[in-house]
Amino acid sequence: MKFAAVLLLAVAPVMLHAQNQWVLTQSTLTWNVTHPMHEVAGTSHAAKGKGNCSAGQCDFLIAVPVNTFDSGDSNRDLHTLEVVRGAQFPMVIVRTHLAQAALNQPIIDADLEVQFAGQTAHYAHVPLHGTSHGTDVEITGTVPATCSDFKIDRPSFLTVPIRNEIPVTVDATWKPE
Amino acid sequence: MAAGRSLAALVCVALVPLMTFAQPSGNPPVASASTDPASSSSSAVPGAVLNLPDAPVPNGPQSTAQTQTQTQSSSSQQTQNNDKNQQPQSGNAPTLGDLGFTPQQTLANAEMQKRLNERTHDLKMHQTFGLITAVPMCAAVLVAGGAKSKKNRSNPNGTVTGPSSSGVDLHVALGSTTALLYGVTAYYAIAAPKIPGVKPKGAIKWHRDLVWIHAPGMVLTPILGAMALNQENNGERVHGIASAHSYVAWTTIAAYGVSIVAVSWPIHLKFWEKK
Repeated sequence: MKFAAVLLLAVAPVMLHAQNQWVLTQSTLTWNVTHPMHEVAGTSHAAKGKGNCSAGQCDFLIAVPVNTFDSGDSNRDLHTLEVVRGAQFPMVIVRTHLAQAALNQPIIDADLEVQFAGQTAHYAHVPLHGTSHGTDVEITGTVPATCSDFKIDRPSFLTVPIRNEIPVTVDATWKPE
Repeated sequence: MAAGRSLAALVCVALVPLMTFAQPSGNPPVASASTDPASSSSSAVPGAVLNLPDAPVPNGPQSTAQTQTQTQSSSSQQTQNNDKNQQPQSGNAPTLGDLGFTPQQTLANAEMQKRLNERTHDLKMHQTFGLITAVPMCAAVLVAGGAKSKKNRSNPNGTVTGPSSSGVDLHVALGSTTALLYGVTAYYAIAAPKIPGVKPKGAIKWHRDLVWIHAPGMVLTPILGAMALNQENNGERVHGIASAHSYVAWTTIAAYGVSIVAVSWPIHLKFWEKK
């Protein structure tokens, strides 16, 4: 009995710790750009992420290399990389802090901190939809990013610039570790 | 006694989760949008106080931007900026280093940024000159009729009327301007720095492939034009390869036009509709 108690004491923190870590297993991030003559989307599946929970609070971090976004046109992708200063600031980093209980809700009200193009922007109350697939949780939503949030000079075509709004749709599947 | 030990053990087991949760999560989450107005749009954060872990750059994005401006050519400084991302945000928050990206993916590359900037500059010049080139090109086609000798249609056996010298001069001037501007356009495309490891994909591939049609055409057209003019000046009917001048010119213009459209493709056809 004594041995069992000691064993439980030793193992319990490890078990708890294991249950409170999340890892991003699959993701699709897409930026959307609108111009009067063009509608373009660039997609990346290269995001990596991790979430740590303790004391009922969770910190999530997702990062994706800027140069992994693919719009189907290499010329456009290189131009995008240039305007978003992608070689100088090669990662898009998203952080959020959530109550652990929020993870079980169908709609998560997230406050996001996004580092991109050498700038940091905060987006409050971004609704993210959570769907459980067994132990995995799929999170979908849209980050209402704009060019001005990140001081990006809007590219233009025939002297007409793209719209300021560049919403980024997120589809991320998280797995408990 | 044994029951007491068991109870004590169970109490310990029950307390362990609480002790685990009681671990401090490092710095309290204090970042708020209100202290950081420069980095966020009013629409993004309408005065909301956020509950986020510490921002990686304590001085805020404004200073990040300033640092960026000051150190554009200093890769070591940028690496320091990058290192800030590697630092832990709080005791519990994961860091960029936890995610397993390679240093090549996460480190700033000032040299590459410089190349990208130069590339964009050169290609903007290429685009501008390319569009300007289309103007004398179209004009040269429009005035081409004035540079042609004309037959008397009512009398097929009659003499051939030579083109007016002003008509020829205008056509030659416009053609020469086109060739010159085309050369400048091509120069900027060739001079634009290449980015290693990037294979042309999408609409740009058509744009590049069409060079194989309009570039030879742009060389051949004035040569054939000069030959045709020479034959006309000698009172001969344009014959031989010189008679292909207009066909080559039209093929060149068509390829050039398709090339402009291709690089802009796909075009949102209902662009007049406002969303």
